[in-house]
Amino acid sequence: MEDSKNISIQGLKKYFTTPGGRFTALNGIDLEFGKAEFAGVVGPSGSGKTTLLNIIGSLDSPSEGKVIVLGRSISELNVKQAALLRRSQLGFIFQSYNLLPVYTVFENIEFPLLLLKLNDRQRKKMVMDSLEWLGLTDKVRSKPAQLSGGECQRVAIARAMVKKPEIVLADEPTANLDAANSHHILKTMVQLNSEFKTTFIFATHDDKVIGYLKRKISLVDGKIANDEITNN
Amino acid sequence: MKLLFNLAIKNLIGAGIRTWLNVIVLSFSFVIIIWHKGILDGWNEQARNDMINWETGGGQYWQNRYDPYDPFSLTEAHSKIPQYLDSIASKGELASILITQGTIYPSGRIQSILIKGINSNQKILKLPSAQFIGNSEEIPALIGRQMANENGLKVSDLVTLRWRDIHGTFDASEMKIIGIFDTNVPTVDLGQVWVPLDRLQRMIGAPGEATIMVRQKTESGFYTDTGWKFKDKEELLKAITDLIKIKSVGGIVLYIILLSLSMLAIFDTQVLSIFRRQKEIGTYIALGMTRRQVVGLFTIEGSLNSVLAGLLAALYGIPFLAFQSKTGISISGASKEYGLALADKIFPTYSLGLIATTIVLIMITTTIVSYLPSRRIAKMKPTEALRGKLQ
Repeated sequence: MEDSKNISIQGLKKYFTTPGGRFTALNGIDLEFGKAEFAGVVGPSGSGKTTLLNIIGSLDSPSEGKVIVLGRSISELNVKQAALLRRSQLGFIFQSYNLLPVYTVFENIEFPLLLLKLNDRQRKKMVMDSLEWLGLTDKVRSKPAQLSGGECQRVAIARAMVKKPEIVLADEPTANLDAANSHHILKTMVQLNSEFKTTFIFATHDDKVIGYLKRKISLVDGKIANDEITNN
Repeated sequence: MKLLFNLAIKNLIGAGIRTWLNVIVLSFSFVIIIWHKGILDGWNEQARNDMINWETGGGQYWQNRYDPYDPFSLTEAHSKIPQYLDSIASKGELASILITQGTIYPSGRIQSILIKGINSNQKILKLPSAQFIGNSEEIPALIGRQMANENGLKVSDLVTLRWRDIHGTFDASEMKIIGIFDTNVPTVDLGQVWVPLDRLQRMIGAPGEATIMVRQKTESGFYTDTGWKFKDKEELLKAITDLIKIKSVGGIVLYIILLSLSMLAIFDTQVLSIFRRQKEIGTYIALGMTRRQVVGLFTIEGSLNSVLAGLLAALYGIPFLAFQSKTGISISGASKEYGLALADKIFPTYSLGLIATTIVLIMITTTIVSYLPSRRIAKMKPTEALRGKLQ
């Protein structure tokens, strides 16, 4: 684990109110993530992986406890501040890619840069760079519907990485991909992690992903069952 | 804002057929509202011009007892033309009209009429009164086309005319139709016979007398202390103005129906969009847009329907409306019986104000209708939206 802390979580609890009563998704999580980590939260469905990622990503807030991301307390951020944090320093990769269907590959990757109000020249250069990292230069004008699942996920990674964020949160990024595509994508992410020192945090139960993790945090019923550094 | 606008355009164009269906429906509203309003405005303008040219002039002086809706006082409603008005009339700036009741017997039928005497040399009203000059044998009469058609009369026909003089004595003589004029103003046509003023004055024994004096249409202000009542142009045109106002109110119902249909389509699309695009909404938020920005994006998307509709409406609407304003719209013959000035053809007029008001009205309505369902986005949980879960 690196010295500088990107994320610090203390006593995190998250409850949801369901028709059957209160459901505890996270039950007293204490974690820290440093810069350039390549870590994964693993566990079965319903263990709280996605909830943890959503809170780190400021898409949700803790019921109890403290979550500090890049020096900012998630529970103290208002809607606008949370949006600014996501816009400038966080990248997201989703299981079902979540590409904007009417935009081309170029426009999808360009989108986070538009929100950052970068000028045309800067945007074009950054998008072309990320297309090169991901080997998508021949798909610039394609729309998501014209791409394979692997290509879609590469576009999603390019979109998450284009602004060179401090942290990328990937929720089951290989769940919809075959083995070959999964390995290709994971290798790309490992490369980006070492090249840009970006922290990658995965939520997964896919062994292929686990095989690439440098740190594996096992979550069971909302609690950390194990937190280990792997040999990868 | 520029970013949201650009994104909204992309999304809107990307939505394909859904967008175009809305745009087509909305463009119909644009064109039909402007067209309908243009007809009313054209009719209004045409009717007012016709009334001014044929009947009201620039206002009228009425003899104090004159009431056009009281046939019993009509025989008494004339007197010597005040000297001041007479001197103006002699310069051609006023047309004198003497009105009395009478009866004609065309083809053995009895027809009650108004006999109206007018200066032969007047140029204020469009009535072809100059035709009286040189016709002195029988009573020379001018009638309108409707009057001629209803009574089977034609030029050179002789018809018996009966009237009463100021002492109540009946008299009768042959009247010769010397001309038939075409007018859109029924109140100078139906049930009326126009004769030379001096002839009518002699017939009823009222020399130098008149019932009304019609002023030049370009005249402004009015002469005071004439002893006669002054009726300005607007007062005389009140009937047609009121009717057009009523028609305009009726038109609003049509606009509401048209707008409701197109707004329903947009509302429906917005609701469907928000329902179908939950993942997209979640993605926007995850990528760093605020909920307010996403609400704005969807509102602009909806509102842009009206911009595209305006462009489409311009594409086919401008040639259509221009063609209509050039060729006019035929009105059925039956409409003449309304008793109001209706031309055979109405030429719609489209003012800049009308077009601007319609565009602004539709745009504001579209924006409101687009915003209402979009407010839901502000209440969505991004985590649920990302999963496409219904909220």
